Amino acid sequence: MIRDYVKLAFQNLSHRRVRSWLTMIGIFIGIASVISLIGLGEGLRYAITSQFGFLGTDMLSVQASGLSYAGPPGAGAVSPLSDTLIDKIQKINGVETAFNRYISSVKLEFNDRQDISYLGSVPLKNDRKIIEKMLNLKTSQGRLLKDEDNRRVMIGSGLIKKEVFGKEINAGDRILLNGISFEVIGILEKKGSFIIDSIIFINENVLLDIQGDDGTTDIIAVKVKDVNNIERVKNDIEKLLRKERNVKEGEEDFSVQSPQKTLETLSSALFAVQLFVYIIAGISLVVGGIGIMNTMYTAVLERTKEIGIMKAIGARNSTIFILFSFESGFLGMVGGIIGILIGLSLAYGLAFVGSMALGSNLIQAQVSPFLVIWTLAFSFILGTGFGVLPAYRAAKMQPVNALRSK
Amino acid sequence: MRTEELKYSLMNLMHRKTRSMLTVLSIVIGMMAVFALVSFGLGIQRYVDELKNTAGADKLYVQAKGTGAPGTDLNFYISKDDANFIEKIKGVSEIVSMYAKPAEIFFKDQKRYTYLISMDPKKIDFIMETSNNIKVIKGRQLKNGDIDKAVIGYNFLFDNKVFKKALNLGDKILVNGKNFQIIGFVSEVGNPQDDAQIYITNEAFETLHPEYKDKFSYSIIKSEKGVDPQELADKITEKLRKFKNQKEGQEDFFVMTFADAIAIFGNIINIINSVLFLIAFVSVIVASVNIMNTMYTAVLERTQEIGVMKAIGARNSDIRTIFLFESGFLGMIGGILGVFLGYLVASTGGLIAASSGYASLRPIFPVTLILGCIFFAVLIGGLSGLFPAIQASKLKPVEALRYE
Repeated sequence: MIRDYVKLAFQNLSHRRVRSWLTMIGIFIGIASVISLIGLGEGLRYAITSQFGFLGTDMLSVQASGLSYAGPPGAGAVSPLSDTLIDKIQKINGVETAFNRYISSVKLEFNDRQDISYLGSVPLKNDRKIIEKMLNLKTSQGRLLKDEDNRRVMIGSGLIKKEVFGKEINAGDRILLNGISFEVIGILEKKGSFIIDSIIFINENVLLDIQGDDGTTDIIAVKVKDVNNIERVKNDIEKLLRKERNVKEGEEDFSVQSPQKTLETLSSALFAVQLFVYIIAGISLVVGGIGIMNTMYTAVLERTKEIGIMKAIGARNSTIFILFSFESGFLGMVGGIIGILIGLSLAYGLAFVGSMALGSNLIQAQVSPFLVIWTLAFSFILGTGFGVLPAYRAAKMQPVNALRSK
Repeated sequence: MRTEELKYSLMNLMHRKTRSMLTVLSIVIGMMAVFALVSFGLGIQRYVDELKNTAGADKLYVQAKGTGAPGTDLNFYISKDDANFIEKIKGVSEIVSMYAKPAEIFFKDQKRYTYLISMDPKKIDFIMETSNNIKVIKGRQLKNGDIDKAVIGYNFLFDNKVFKKALNLGDKILVNGKNFQIIGFVSEVGNPQDDAQIYITNEAFETLHPEYKDKFSYSIIKSEKGVDPQELADKITEKLRKFKNQKEGQEDFFVMTFADAIAIFGNIINIINSVLFLIAFVSVIVASVNIMNTMYTAVLERTQEIGVMKAIGARNSDIRTIFLFESGFLGMIGGILGVFLGYLVASTGGLIAASSGYASLRPIFPVTLILGCIFFAVLIGGLSGLFPAIQASKLKPVEALRYE
């Protein structure tokens, strides 16, 4: 039975070939633009969120509140965190360790040229191992920093750029940071994350030594002993900071965040932007759907007589309805398949060209099998959906009238 | 085109009402999206041009290179000596240096974060002129000796924009731990960040944050009449570099003309807008495919009719005109309705943007845009109908008559 429907639908569609193709062109342009936009959008979201992804699930970060659009962490803070807080945080039950991270801007000179960059601190002793593991630090040249390294730094792979300095920085080279000479002991592996790739890592004591210690820190990183207790530890830290900084509950001038939370906030902001783009792209799908409806109305009109005959020899209303629904669904699905193919090549092609041209790994395509299947189902539903009214009209025809029509 | 041809075309469209309506609907939707996006793009373009021509034509600014927003990074700054040196450079008519810092403000136990900007009361007119021509619209401007007074942004005048309740003249707010009395409100800039700023005098700022003294976040420079701002920018860069003993390419500051800064902002907006436009344009393409489809069907259905017309003397060009007119007409109706709906969508969008603080995001509807869009829709309709019309005109009368 089903096979008959499919065969009939296919025959009818191939009979009016030009029209079927034009209708499907409408659908596959729509599907292709949606697929490629979602692919690139997801790719961008993946690229951005993966920059935070390395932060362990057992870590909490404490920051002073301030303007969120002011720059690197800590830069927009109004009343910065005191760097002695870590001793008290460490005493909280369930905290394995807590350490300060200082981030500041610095003038980096090499080969007689200069650039402004970030200097990020690395804690000493055991905390060093935690941060190395947390950021998954490995060197592509030289070695990682050690506690006894004075006047030595390791740098992110994004900083060795030839365009800025005229020649590449290699391990063993000397660079000037705010006029002070440092040896580059290691170059880090490229991570695709601005938090690692564009930072100069320096031992905490050395950073405080050259920049002066004003008793404040930019971020406090906290590692908990047991992930299951993370919420309780978070509450305890908040309680402690409220007391230390003398603020009431609900008026905190600091925030304690788990990486998951940060990720969710970021993701939802990005998603809002994506949604807007999808809606605009979705408009073309609606227009394509109207095209299907139009074609199907025409088909019903042309085949009025045929419908009359089918009814006369015993076809029920539901048979006619299914017959036409199949046709429009078929239009939608074939349009969808071609659209997906074009969309995929467009997304990966654009991502390839884009990343070549800009040298940025922010541009990449990410199309999940789930998205492909969903789009396919959607295009079939779109086809049948817009075919419902024409099919209904066909089904409701009176056999006598239909037979009599010219 | 003769009237009977016109009448014939219109009658045909009326005859297949559902189909014509659906075809028009698809054009309407596409044109609506295009029109709304372009009207926003043009609005922003005009806002940028106005900024460039009124406030910024003869202004430049000098800022320390750094990584965050101005005033967040004390490692780099414009020193008082730097500012004094720049003032003496030939071609500089006036210079004003400002402090900026993120601020925590309290009012009735509610806390907000915003930007604190300080200025020299003697140069207040100059500063206001450079900040999008804002002026004090309620209360008075800052003057020398106002050590505990503040002028605040437009959004403080309203409930639920910054604080739950609107502020009044004479109210006291706590800024970074110190009480300031509000003496004035400035007019709207057009974005929520700038409209929530706090302005105090340099003197007050130096008392509040002594560690910032003589470390300015940025300076604004006005060039003398007849001096090209771009040339002046190059000159200042060169002289200040020598003054600070820095080599070329090693400056820890940059000089930029207002026009350039605004142009960069405008370019970014333009790129975003063109991308959105292209995406919306896809739906117009799909709609034009629909028109083509409708017209091919129409030609097919009326093959016999075309044969009859040709048999009684219609020329190829007559047939072509009839069908072209039909598709062009579909495009026109779609264009007119699309522009109308697009206007509704864009103005609603503009209102929503304004009520959430982005008054600068305002669509404009010049006559050229309206007529252009309608003309464009006619063109799309005509082009989509071109192939079907040519096919119709090329039909052989005998075969067309025999067709069924």
